[in-house]
Amino acid sequence: MPEYSLTPAAPLAGTDITIVDTRLVAPADLAVVSVALPLGAEKAAEKAIKTAFGVALPEVGKSSLAKDGARIVRLGSDLAFVIFTHPTPDAERVVAARLKGAAYTTDQTDVWAALDLSGPNARRALERICPIDLHPDAFAVGDSARTMMEHLGTLIIRTGDDAYRLMSGSSSAGSFLHAIETSLSNIA
Amino acid sequence: MSQINRISGGQIDRAQEVKFTFNGKWMRGHPGDTLASALLANGQRLVGRSFKYHRPRGIFTAGSEEPNALVELRNGAHQEPNTRATVTELFDGLHAKSQNHRGSLEHDMMAVTDFMSPFLSAGFYYKTFMWPRAFWEKLYEPIIRKSAGLGRLSMQEDPDVYDKGYLHCDLLVIGAGPTGLMAALTAGRAGARVILADEDFTLGGRLNSETLEVGGMAGADWAKEALVELAAMDNVRLMARTTVYGAYDHGVYGALERCTDHLASSDGKPRQILWRVTSKRAVLSAGATERPIAFGNNDRPGVMLAGSVRSYANRYGVTPGQQVAVFTNNDDGWRTAADLVAKGVHVPAIIDVRDAAAVCDVPGARHIRNAGVVDTVGRKGLKSVTLTDGQVIPVDCLAVSGGWNPNVHLTCHQRGRPTWRDDISAFVPGRDLPPGMAVAGAANGAMTLAAALAEGQSVANAQIEALGYKPGKADLPRAEDEPCDCVPYWHVRESTKRGWLDLQNDVTVKDVKQSHREGFRSVEHLKRYTTLGMATDQGKTANIPALAIMAECTGKTIPETGTTIFRPPYTPVPIGALGGRSRGRDFRPYRLTPSHVWAKENGATFVEVGNWLRAQWFARPGETGWRDSVDREVLATRKSVGICDVTTLGKIDVQGKDAAAFLNKVYANGFAKLAVGRVRYGLMLREDGIAYDDGTTARMSENHFVMTTTTANAVLVFRRLEFARQCLWPDMDVHLISTTDGWAQFAVAGPNARNLLRKVVDEAHDLSNEAFPFMACGEVTVCNGTPARLFRISFSGELAYEVAVPARYGNAMMDVLMQAGQEFDATPYGTEALGVMRIEKGHAAGNELNGQTTAHNLGMGKMVSQTKECIGNVLTQRPEMLREDAVKLVGFRPVDRERGLIAGSHFITKGDAASMDNDQGWMSSVAYSPSLEHSVGLGFIKNGDTRMGEIVRAVSPVHGTEMEVEIVSAHFIDPAGDRLRA
Amino acid sequence: MIINHPLLGPRDAAEFVYLGDASLIERPDWQASDAAEAFHEYGYLRDNPAGKHAELWYHEQGDRSWLVVTRDTTTHEITSVEMARDVARAKGRSK
Repeated sequence: MPEYSLTPAAPLAGTDITIVDTRLVAPADLAVVSVALPLGAEKAAEKAIKTAFGVALPEVGKSSLAKDGARIVRLGSDLAFVIFTHPTPDAERVVAARLKGAAYTTDQTDVWAALDLSGPNARRALERICPIDLHPDAFAVGDSARTMMEHLGTLIIRTGDDAYRLMSGSSSAGSFLHAIETSLSNIA
Repeated sequence: MSQINRISGGQIDRAQEVKFTFNGKWMRGHPGDTLASALLANGQRLVGRSFKYHRPRGIFTAGSEEPNALVELRNGAHQEPNTRATVTELFDGLHAKSQNHRGSLEHDMMAVTDFMSPFLSAGFYYKTFMWPRAFWEKLYEPIIRKSAGLGRLSMQEDPDVYDKGYLHCDLLVIGAGPTGLMAALTAGRAGARVILADEDFTLGGRLNSETLEVGGMAGADWAKEALVELAAMDNVRLMARTTVYGAYDHGVYGALERCTDHLASSDGKPRQILWRVTSKRAVLSAGATERPIAFGNNDRPGVMLAGSVRSYANRYGVTPGQQVAVFTNNDDGWRTAADLVAKGVHVPAIIDVRDAAAVCDVPGARHIRNAGVVDTVGRKGLKSVTLTDGQVIPVDCLAVSGGWNPNVHLTCHQRGRPTWRDDISAFVPGRDLPPGMAVAGAANGAMTLAAALAEGQSVANAQIEALGYKPGKADLPRAEDEPCDCVPYWHVRESTKRGWLDLQNDVTVKDVKQSHREGFRSVEHLKRYTTLGMATDQGKTANIPALAIMAECTGKTIPETGTTIFRPPYTPVPIGALGGRSRGRDFRPYRLTPSHVWAKENGATFVEVGNWLRAQWFARPGETGWRDSVDREVLATRKSVGICDVTTLGKIDVQGKDAAAFLNKVYANGFAKLAVGRVRYGLMLREDGIAYDDGTTARMSENHFVMTTTTANAVLVFRRLEFARQCLWPDMDVHLISTTDGWAQFAVAGPNARNLLRKVVDEAHDLSNEAFPFMACGEVTVCNGTPARLFRISFSGELAYEVAVPARYGNAMMDVLMQAGQEFDATPYGTEALGVMRIEKGHAAGNELNGQTTAHNLGMGKMVSQTKECIGNVLTQRPEMLREDAVKLVGFRPVDRERGLIAGSHFITKGDAASMDNDQGWMSSVAYSPSLEHSVGLGFIKNGDTRMGEIVRAVSPVHGTEMEVEIVSAHFIDPAGDRLRA
Repeated sequence: MIINHPLLGPRDAAEFVYLGDASLIERPDWQASDAAEAFHEYGYLRDNPAGKHAELWYHEQGDRSWLVVTRDTTTHEITSVEMARDVARAKGRSK
């Protein structure tokens, strides 16, 4: 047996900052698995998702929350993310097993770094970096968008009245955190 | 100095006093003052020197159109030149300096240029400094630079921070005067999302400067009530100190918000914010700008626009003079006289160019009809004016009104052209407005208060109705249609002295006439020849009178003469605001490799590769330069084992029933038959046959491939693959997703690579050469169960693997590999050693795939399949692409082994002259090979593959070097490939 | 500019990457007898209209879809936005 073991260190692990009543937290053990719908077998894949998670695959730009807390985000016509809490590095296998081969799955857990922004000034802070209209009438709870913030590709999901989950590339997580922190301190 | 010109009323807070300095002299004002109103209150009439002639100048306007009163604000690194005193909010401790003079403001040594003015007329620079040509750079330009220009930069880094942001709305209302307030109220009450932006710090526009009533109360009070109502609406955002400076495509507007310019300190917060406003509709209610009349010496301190004089009296409680005459061609000028007299200021005369009855009763003022001002006296401050009939009137201020120009600027930002209206002698917005924009109020030529309010309501209603909101029917507040008759009158012909048009760039009536005489017929040429309207104020007060004079000269009408094009920005936008946060280390985001922390702790020097920071080498104590480190890393790797973080290579997960067929189309070589568990090198071509990118692709299962791209092209290749999948072969079942950031990938290279990995990879996996040969791949586990991928590929030419673990384990993995590798003296290596080893091995990289080379040039011509459909293979067959004497990639070594090859050198056959005609090719990559102990190079040379052993010359005119080099195989190390198959 | 994405609604043009003439979808048959000429035309020759122009935009900072955007090159007015995949299929492209 190899005598070595590996300790994980996610780039933003432990981040928990509060500025102007608004909190920025890196959620722990977040797993992300992409689900691609096979061409010509989309219906079967959608059915498998419904069976596996108990909720339908949402429309593009929306997300739905499964009973077990997994969030399914539809990124495009043939692509969705399943985002759920799962500490071990086998998230893709878990989702693949539940979908029973009805869709193509890829582990995206380590591709992304996530930050949860919540509080009364969340939207005002995002105004400085997010080109998407986040007005409640335009971006309802559960809505999602893939866009660009401070030159970084970002997935934004509105998770509550004043709460957003932001996901960006893990290699540039430090710059991403800096961008959001700067936005918060600039409105403070 | 005391506030000798302070009079009653105004919207200043007299209970508080604010101290400031002008040219080091302490003065006092009140909150609510601008720097200009406070200077006038203190009797400071002379505030600057003009650009070209260094003429003494005073405050001319009360707004952002100001051409004269440009000052330097603040001290030290915070110093900002060319700010307009008329829009600078006064704060306690403000320091302002006049600019553009040598010596004191009162005694500017450069004022001598004014006496040289006969020689400095239009086109002077063009005519004078053309020859001798050599004099330009050394003599003329430095002298001109020194004498011209306005304020000075601090030459220090800007200590302020700036930000940007995005706003969205149904209706953007630009300008918060009566029209804009009415529009915002109308849309806001109907429930639309409204942004109301105004450049001023107090919203209300002219209502704050006039004595007109709205809804039975003072206009300024009505404005305050309207603002209270608007501020209470959740759907309305009020933005004071915010200039909407540009109208861009599809309802996008640029706006600059000045957040802390009115405060003594920014306190670390953004000083200004550049907003990108996305609107569904917009109402331009930007009002109008008054224009002057040109006459002799009309640029003296004390000659001001009449509406501005009124602003100072009504809004700021300041009179610009004790004896104020009015010179007007319209009814509006009379209101200045009336308002001043009502405040107790003496108005000796109203000089009206028209032969008409008095507009209103102004006690104490003589009404002089059918007359004009021909000259003025008072170099540093107006003393008297001389009229056309020769009479002299002693005054210290002359309020001039030549009529009002609707602020059409933003309507023209998408090449719309304004149209002329004779009844108001002004341009109004044309029909081709930016889509989504409507214009209301004075900006639209509705010149009375009642008309402005009505238009604000009706235009806003039309705009929101188009968005599906129900228009409101609220009563329109009562207001009057005040008299506003105006006749076209642009300059006093009887004047023999210079009459100024563009005060900031010192362009006179004479200059316009002269440029016409010299043949400049187009208004665009006039502008560039005279520099009219090209200063920081963009000729807001100058352009129309100059056009009128141009029209007079040509015998055309003003609309026939036309206007120059208005372009963004409406008023200057600081570079700092345009840059926003993108400066210094925050210029762009950084990407860190998973082992970054380990590398930092272990002495890595980092290099920027795109956005990535990669370890370039790992210096050890005692090493005197980077070469020491790199040579050691190469030798240690080739001798035992080295480890390099190669995460930055692009990784694309390719899945689907048609994945293999898809790869077969995007790569030039075959991929359909790649076995599961095997890796293949792939070459991508552009459609024109030029090599695009290369990398290895591994077949993980029947329908699952993992592609790698070069670091530089990761994003571009992904884009191309999506294009191929969606646009070229849309019915293929193939799915792409990037996993570049997801896997920490390490090259483990060298004779002991397998022995090292054996200690890390879990025992269940057979790593023997038979079970896991060169170009094998597979999923494994490492360190007791952590999932990993293993690829037996080699860039260095050694026995090598790349092992990938989920990125969160990357830093730990590097640590483990180094611990496990201790017994083999495992060495971390950086991008330099990586580069040296690939050159030693003869692998092409970015320098070789440079967008000019084909597979044929790279020696990979046979790889390009002609038996399948793939990108690039058809045009590859063009004769020119396959010519026999094409350059080929080969290796080079210096004949004198002591010499270092130079990349970029061109090859010349021995005996030929070093000229382009004899060019044989170029050296693309060079390195010192510690393995061979001499310099090695890769390069392209004609027929290279058939010229082994030939000596040619490598010439670099850039470096002034030439050396003899020998053509050799590009594979300096292990040409048979025994090592990597070991 | 704002591009009205068929699936996502109006999005800022900054999220997109421009490629060019939508005729790039119509890649010639590699086995045709005139393939060399056809690919030459495909690769190098473009119309450059002052007016309506069907062009390819890629939603790189979005859903990664290629779009065919019909834009007036003189006014930037966008009159239609389609999924390029649908356009390609309508033009008979398949595998």
